[in-house]
Amino acid sequence: MTAVEGAEVSVAVETGWAGPGAKATRKPFRWSRLVWALVWPQGGERIVPTMSGVMLIAVCFGVGTAAYNSSSNILFITLSLLLACLILSGVVSWLNLSRVAWRLDVAPPLRAGQAADLGLSVRNGKRILPTYGLWFEWSARPIAAAATGAKAESTVTGRGIEVRAILKKAEAETLRGQVALRARLDPAGEDRLDWSFVPARRGRMRVELAGVGSLFPFGFLKKYVGSELRAEVVVWPAVIDYRPWALVGARRAGGEQPRARAGGGSDLLALRRYAAGDSHRLIHWKASARTQQLLVRQFTTESSQGFDLWVRTDAALWPRAEQFEVFVRFAATLAEDLFRVGQLQTIALDGELPVRVRHGRDLAGWLNRLAVVEYKPVAAKLDTVVSSAEVSSSGRNVLTFAPEGELGVVAWINGQRAASI
Amino acid sequence: MKRETQQAPTPRRAQLTLEELRQVQWILGGLLILLSGWTVFYLDVNAWILMGLTTIAVGAGLVRPDWPARVPRLVHSLAFPVIVVFFVSDFWLKGEVLPAIVRLDILLLLYRGICYRQRRDDLQVIVLGLFLIVVAGVLTVSPAFAVQIVAFTGCALALLLVITLADGVAMKPAAEAKKGLKGLITWRAPDRERPAWAESLVITRLLRRCWAVADGRVVALAAGLFAGVVMVSALLFLAIPRFQLDNSLFLERFIAKKARTGFNDSIKFGEVSEILQDTSVALSVDVSDPKVVPASPYWRMLVLDEYQDGGFRLSPALSRGAFGPERKEAMVLGEARPRMGAPVDWTFYLEPGVSRYLPLLGRFQELRFRETQTFRPSAELGVVALRAESATMTAYRVQGMEFSEVLPDEGFAERWRRRTESGAISGRAEGTLQRRLNLAASDLAVLAQVREEIARAFVGGSAAPTAAEFGRAASGWLRKQHGYSLTPTIPRGTGDALVRWLNSKEPGHCEMFAGSLVLLAREAGFAARVVVGFKGGSWNGYSDNFTVRNSDAHAWAEMWDEVRGAWWRVDPLALGLTGATSGTAGGVSGEAAIAAQVDRSWTARLDSLRVFWYRRIVNFDASSQVETLQAVKTATETTGLRLRETLEQALAALKAWLVGPWDFRRAAGVLGSLGLGAILFGAVMAVRRLGFNFRWGQATRKIDPVRREAGRWLERLPQAGDNVAAGAELAAVRADLERLRYGAASTWREPEAIFRRAREAVRVRARRPITRS
Repeated sequence: MTAVEGAEVSVAVETGWAGPGAKATRKPFRWSRLVWALVWPQGGERIVPTMSGVMLIAVCFGVGTAAYNSSSNILFITLSLLLACLILSGVVSWLNLSRVAWRLDVAPPLRAGQAADLGLSVRNGKRILPTYGLWFEWSARPIAAAATGAKAESTVTGRGIEVRAILKKAEAETLRGQVALRARLDPAGEDRLDWSFVPARRGRMRVELAGVGSLFPFGFLKKYVGSELRAEVVVWPAVIDYRPWALVGARRAGGEQPRARAGGGSDLLALRRYAAGDSHRLIHWKASARTQQLLVRQFTTESSQGFDLWVRTDAALWPRAEQFEVFVRFAATLAEDLFRVGQLQTIALDGELPVRVRHGRDLAGWLNRLAVVEYKPVAAKLDTVVSSAEVSSSGRNVLTFAPEGELGVVAWINGQRAASI
Repeated sequence: MKRETQQAPTPRRAQLTLEELRQVQWILGGLLILLSGWTVFYLDVNAWILMGLTTIAVGAGLVRPDWPARVPRLVHSLAFPVIVVFFVSDFWLKGEVLPAIVRLDILLLLYRGICYRQRRDDLQVIVLGLFLIVVAGVLTVSPAFAVQIVAFTGCALALLLVITLADGVAMKPAAEAKKGLKGLITWRAPDRERPAWAESLVITRLLRRCWAVADGRVVALAAGLFAGVVMVSALLFLAIPRFQLDNSLFLERFIAKKARTGFNDSIKFGEVSEILQDTSVALSVDVSDPKVVPASPYWRMLVLDEYQDGGFRLSPALSRGAFGPERKEAMVLGEARPRMGAPVDWTFYLEPGVSRYLPLLGRFQELRFRETQTFRPSAELGVVALRAESATMTAYRVQGMEFSEVLPDEGFAERWRRRTESGAISGRAEGTLQRRLNLAASDLAVLAQVREEIARAFVGGSAAPTAAEFGRAASGWLRKQHGYSLTPTIPRGTGDALVRWLNSKEPGHCEMFAGSLVLLAREAGFAARVVVGFKGGSWNGYSDNFTVRNSDAHAWAEMWDEVRGAWWRVDPLALGLTGATSGTAGGVSGEAAIAAQVDRSWTARLDSLRVFWYRRIVNFDASSQVETLQAVKTATETTGLRLRETLEQALAALKAWLVGPWDFRRAAGVLGSLGLGAILFGAVMAVRRLGFNFRWGQATRKIDPVRREAGRWLERLPQAGDNVAAGAELAAVRADLERLRYGAASTWREPEAIFRRAREAVRVRARRPITRS
């Protein structure tokens, strides 16, 4: 488990390989283990006969009954062949999944209302046999913050709990998808599958590879391997359109002009194609080898002047939940816009000390935290409350937010409307 | 780093597209339909027209897959009602359930063959085809079933595999699974639109594509797995516990079968001769003790006692009197007396379509069927008659069978003696004495004249010759008078045809000889009758069994020998024998007889497969299961003992070699061998190091030696990190090595120089900063 972003909000991703071929230390080979593995499904595996499988079993029963009734060896031969086909189906299915491993490739950030791609790397560790016909079942569901601290209550003790309704609601919020390995996965080969989905709202979300299924080779048996691959990702607030007011003037007053993103900073911004005159030191050899073209590294620039963004989430300020959501989206959008033009100096959340935004990861960490902010009807007690007087007398361009009307939100800067919704 | 270097980008092998998979699916489905339809070849059901239509239509569909789209919509609209009407009328008109179902099955296959099939249609084809093949196998027990079921299984598995792959590519597996059983069995109008794959299907091109994308190792593994399926099914067949429930096969009730060979209760002259044209196997016989096998066995099947209208038949009187009541059992106890020593077991495999009368050599102690049969035995006649001719191969084992030239008949002896004592008997009793001649006076006169001639020429004018004397004499006269021909000519004229032939010089066949002898014997006052069956056969040198073909069909006569009190076999056509009769081919029997008849031709080789099929598969039962297990146990123990002995001998030899005297020459030889082995090993490793890949069937993965060397140095550089001056120079070396390892070859700059710098960086160990060369 690796922490993509530290502090209070982290994105937890199971980055390791999972599946039959993921075991780092292979157990020594034993025939008994092999036979038992063929007879009894391994942990997390489920084998369900399909309709053609049910028909085959029914035919087996019919032929077997007729064979015993008539002592006809022709029917016994047929029965033996049918049973052997079932066995072959199981063996080939086992071979197909053998030494296959998969890994989640989650690339944050995810943003509400925008399509997000979840990657899955599939690896075939076999030396001779390819792998065919796997499909992967995904699920993504939001994680309620309250649920993490709630005491678990069973259906026996939970009086009055509408279990079905809860399950129905949870299912309604769960996004499910299926992606299939359509091409053959060659021996020692690797492939990547993407699942696109659109998160509905901001917050934490658990993305899970629910299982891997296969009808290979004959479609008699549906083999289903449960997976424990999951990732908790943070969905940033959706982008919202706003009307800039003094924000443009403040930007000009600050003397900062929009600059190109690339620069001489230390953070890797992107890779681009090699151009004549680029330093060879900047060439990213591994990426070049993968893409079969020369790529060089690009770094972010650093900005030195701009705005300070202060977001207050206390309920005393935001009486309506809907308005609060709009405010969060507005703050996130504004912060990103300012960062993009290099004018975001510091960001602060409630009574915390402002954080200087030097790198993209600073903003990402803050957005991660903003994404999971919850609307609390009861006013939160702030240890350190910066008064608007202090803000205005600090001589800095501090952006604050306030409600306007029933759903509107205004961003203020030094007593002026900077932007509004 | 190591893993990454090993997993250098490898080109992905080509694979079949979705269209090509659908084309393969179409071809395999067509092959399955053809395979299933061809059961008609060995299933005795009148469905030749349907089978021909299916072959033509499906064959045309395979060659021109676009033509099913041209089938008029009306055909599809009317298909279901027409098929139902066809089945109902077929059943109503012919009254046979199973043939009607078989024809319906073929018709459904035909319809599926001219439609573009979806997944469930192909599943229907598999089920329909399997039904057809299993029914054919059960009814005929033919070895062709083994070939067909294995081929069908291979094709069906390949088809299912292709369907799974194609649906996986088309992302349809889950959708298909949701349709369930209802979707599988309901009638659905086929797709009338011509699919895209049908327009581009060229079989030769598709085969070339399959050949191009096939991986030799995977194909070999698939073949091995299929062979494994056959082996596993064989093991399952041996291991499945058997219970003898003594039930007869239910399918036989639904199909009627008529004898092909003419061995019926009533035989017209020429019918047995027609059988002689057929060289197919009629009977296979296993003998537990080949020493007792007669050289020229007479397999008696049916006794015909009444001559009427130019033919012999089994008279109702004899049928009523000689045969016991109908029984439904799996065993018949005979009247042969037990003899000293172990009784000899004769296992008969009677092919379907031969007769409902079982071939036997004579009386027996015990006859046991493989399954319960309904039959009527006759100890007097030495025959057993099944109620109906079996549609399948009939297997039975006979123990303690007699095969002499005489058949004792106490009942007839009593009746014959009573006739002599009383002098006059009733007409009904006369009918059972098998001496009546229903001939005109002119024919009787001709017979009397011939009989006198025989008496004069062969019996020395004896007024009262014995049956043996008369039989020999009449046989000799017949052979002298007539030649042998399968296309006899009967002289024109009035009177009985057989008498006209007898009184002529025309050649004839065995029935005429036997019939004439019976007429002459009866005219002389002897009881006589015609017996039909088979004579002789060949000894299969591969499977060690007797093979009797339809061409061995024969007819001979039996005369009542009052002296012996038994029926005495008289074969007028037994040439080269002393007298006119044949017993056991001049007394030759056992190994000498087998040696004279052994057959090692290709036909015998094929027949041995049939016998193997009957012995080991069809006739396999609980006792065979025990025998097999015991044989396996014995073989395992024997093999273990031999292996142990071999190992002990090898160890003893090694020990003796080691303790032997060592001199310089011997030591040098050993050392030289070891050295040679080390050199060979080193050479192999060196070749492998150079990048040659010996793995069979795998695309050679040549990694550039420069890249490999760069990867090797990249692995070593970090180890030298503590001792080599860190900083820009080391990073520069690493960057250059990475460029060699991953970058395009066109960007390389003097690899050797870079390797030298890397080597130097590792060696210097921080004594001085590395310098660029």
